[in-house]
Amino acid sequence: MSDEVHHDPDMSQEEYMSGLRMARRDFLVKSGLAAAAAAAAPAWLSTEQAAAAVKASTAVGQARDPIAANAVTQAKKYSGLSMGRINEVGPQALDDVNFSGPLWQRLTGIKTNLTEVPFAQIRTKIIAEDLAKSGALDSVEVSPAWIPDFADQGVVMPIDGLIRKYKAQATIADLHPLYKGLARYKGKTWGFFDDGDVWALYYRKDVFGNRRLRAAYKAKFKRDLRVPRGWDEFNQVAQFITDEMAPRVYGTGMGRALGNPGNQFYFFQQFRANGGRFFNPRTMKAEINNAIAVKTMNQILAQNKASPPGVDKLDFISSWGLWLKGQTAMIMAWPPTGRISENIAQRHKAFATLPKSKVVGKVGYARVPGANGEHAGAFIKCVMATSENQDAAYLYNQWATSPSVSLQRVMLPYTLRDPYRISHYRAPAYRKLWKGAAEYLEALCEAANDAVLDLSMSGAGDYANALDRAMTSMYAGKDVQDALDEAKREWDSITDKLGVAKQRASYATFLKYPGATNKNTVRKLGQAVKC
Amino acid sequence: MRWFLVAPAVLIVVALTIFPLGFALWVSFVQYDFALGDEHPWVGLDNFVENWKDPVWRASLWRTIWFSVTMVAVELVLGLLLALAMLRPFRGRRVFMTLFVIPLFISPVVVGGFFDLFVRRPYGVANQLTSWIWPGDVTIDFSQDSPWVYIVLVIADVWQWTPFMFVILLAGLAAIPDTLYEAADLDGAKPRQSFVFVTLPLLLPIVLIAVTFRLVDAAKLFDIIYSLTRGGPGTDTYTTSYYLYQQGFEFFHLGQGTAGAWMFMIMLLFVSFWLVRRLLKPLEETSL
Repeated sequence: MSDEVHHDPDMSQEEYMSGLRMARRDFLVKSGLAAAAAAAAPAWLSTEQAAAAVKASTAVGQARDPIAANAVTQAKKYSGLSMGRINEVGPQALDDVNFSGPLWQRLTGIKTNLTEVPFAQIRTKIIAEDLAKSGALDSVEVSPAWIPDFADQGVVMPIDGLIRKYKAQATIADLHPLYKGLARYKGKTWGFFDDGDVWALYYRKDVFGNRRLRAAYKAKFKRDLRVPRGWDEFNQVAQFITDEMAPRVYGTGMGRALGNPGNQFYFFQQFRANGGRFFNPRTMKAEINNAIAVKTMNQILAQNKASPPGVDKLDFISSWGLWLKGQTAMIMAWPPTGRISENIAQRHKAFATLPKSKVVGKVGYARVPGANGEHAGAFIKCVMATSENQDAAYLYNQWATSPSVSLQRVMLPYTLRDPYRISHYRAPAYRKLWKGAAEYLEALCEAANDAVLDLSMSGAGDYANALDRAMTSMYAGKDVQDALDEAKREWDSITDKLGVAKQRASYATFLKYPGATNKNTVRKLGQAVKC
Repeated sequence: MRWFLVAPAVLIVVALTIFPLGFALWVSFVQYDFALGDEHPWVGLDNFVENWKDPVWRASLWRTIWFSVTMVAVELVLGLLLALAMLRPFRGRRVFMTLFVIPLFISPVVVGGFFDLFVRRPYGVANQLTSWIWPGDVTIDFSQDSPWVYIVLVIADVWQWTPFMFVILLAGLAAIPDTLYEAADLDGAKPRQSFVFVTLPLLLPIVLIAVTFRLVDAAKLFDIIYSLTRGGPGTDTYTTSYYLYQQGFEFFHLGQGTAGAWMFMIMLLFVSFWLVRRLLKPLEETSL
């Protein structure tokens, strides 16, 4: 990870480009070779990854990854079975469609039937299936924030017995410490963690290296332009870039649409980076309308002001679209940002969600301002308690999240699964994916060391929705204090409805996770990993 | 034998209507909430009271009334004007009429999505079009800023449902015998007087039918909200249907959501009952 600007600060963009000039013939030859390599790379890459996953999952691979190989050996007795899966529509589901599903069927004879829905509807579909008990779903993707509710209501099943039965205890050994405990709740394990969704700051090295911009910034603020380290500095820099470069480039532009991705993520992160806490742990009264919360919201509103018009309706995929077209200079976002910036995903024909990147080679990675990035969303692979194929579903989850197979999955060009094992961050194959891949992986690992978690407790979905709605009303002009007061009343009402004593216990459990606050991050607990 | 023959129909009605209604009635009087567990103790009227206590529910109710009345009023006026314009034959009339009714065949979700693209900044063309008639740069966020977001929702609904009014009213206008206009003409009535004293009274029953259908339908406004604003910003465009959808199918507060649905249905029944009585009054008077 680096907070430094990578270009020679004294070199203008024109000078930089002139160094790249070449003869026309050279250009044609090199372009042809590059195009051929780019066209061949994804197919070759996916084939290589499938071969590696198969190798790790068969007897040959037993010594390399017994967790994957054992799962396949044991699952063969369920050959011919059809297993229900649910995953997020779009790139996430492409893993099931193009990679894990076909491979699992080839290795074990078990077919997977996939249901694809938007992220927020995964939760509602799972709950609906739990109420209907139709047996349509066996293996499901569950966000860590939903685990307390799903575990308390018996929607998903604990898998400790199955882990012992299939000797998979070692699978959690090389999870990053931030992720190790997320599938644990009330002393039981509810699934296998499977997506390192930690936010980092992605910034344009060419914009921060622009000589004219740097001089203008210094003249105005009497200090050097640098990648921001705090939110006030971020807002100042973002607004400055917007003032200087818009509409060609805006300082920032993150997805603020209602429910997509969910504004609570931004609040959760900045509120705790500013020192806030969600509840008084003794009375369980919400504290999301205090002075820290007001400061947090004003910071978020300042970010919106420095963003392109219409940011309050911008969904996160569209925010990536702006970024890839080079129209924003900084975004705080999920790990795929690094890969799509380098066109790793867009080169594959299966990935049609986003435009080709115009910022290849221009992107730097840093910790989010205030250091504590949000671990937002993410997935744990769980087994439905209503499943009639629990062993088969469990074995699929064990196989897909095993060290070797998961490494291939987080390297897939067309999906959005992100590294979460220390072995992922250190994998030589991943580090060679593009020129800056090693730096990217180190940045993600460091971000996880400092990250704060989504609020993960009973009623988490209701709390998140109330905050999301309140934030969009502030974007539309509602008074910050009034909107936060209303959100606080709604939080208190949710707490009362669920029971104060129950919520107190649930919040106390949450506070024990590394990353629950900015005071007990992985780094502050002395568990930081150097990747 | 006759019971055997009607049994399938009775079974279908019981399975698809009577049982769900009975189950919904039970759910509204028990604790039926995903977050509160699998047990369903009797809670009496608590679910109903919860809705009344919720300011979002109350606001959504007033908003639903406002939307329904505004939308149906605008659709009625525009539909009547269109029907009057299309009453007499002219060259190209069929083409125009075909174009006018096309919105009726489009799913409301698609209409919402279309208007979302139309008004969304910075890609939507709404601001550019507005800037042609308004001096200077127009930077309104039509999908967020008040009152524009309400106006856009009304326009979207009016765009889709004015053709419905138009078709019904055109049929009503065409059914008025020409002899009545000829008699009025002989009595020296001017066109405006013919319209007020001949057309309107005879069209009124048809207007009532069209308004009843549209009011009941507009009160259920959901699809356009779902695809255009998702109830936002905040809860500013929550209609009662959207609120109930959220309670029931996103938060799984099924007891409260179902109680709310019963309350809403009873309110709609009162409105429908009043409208139907108005509709039947002339018929009852004629039969007497």
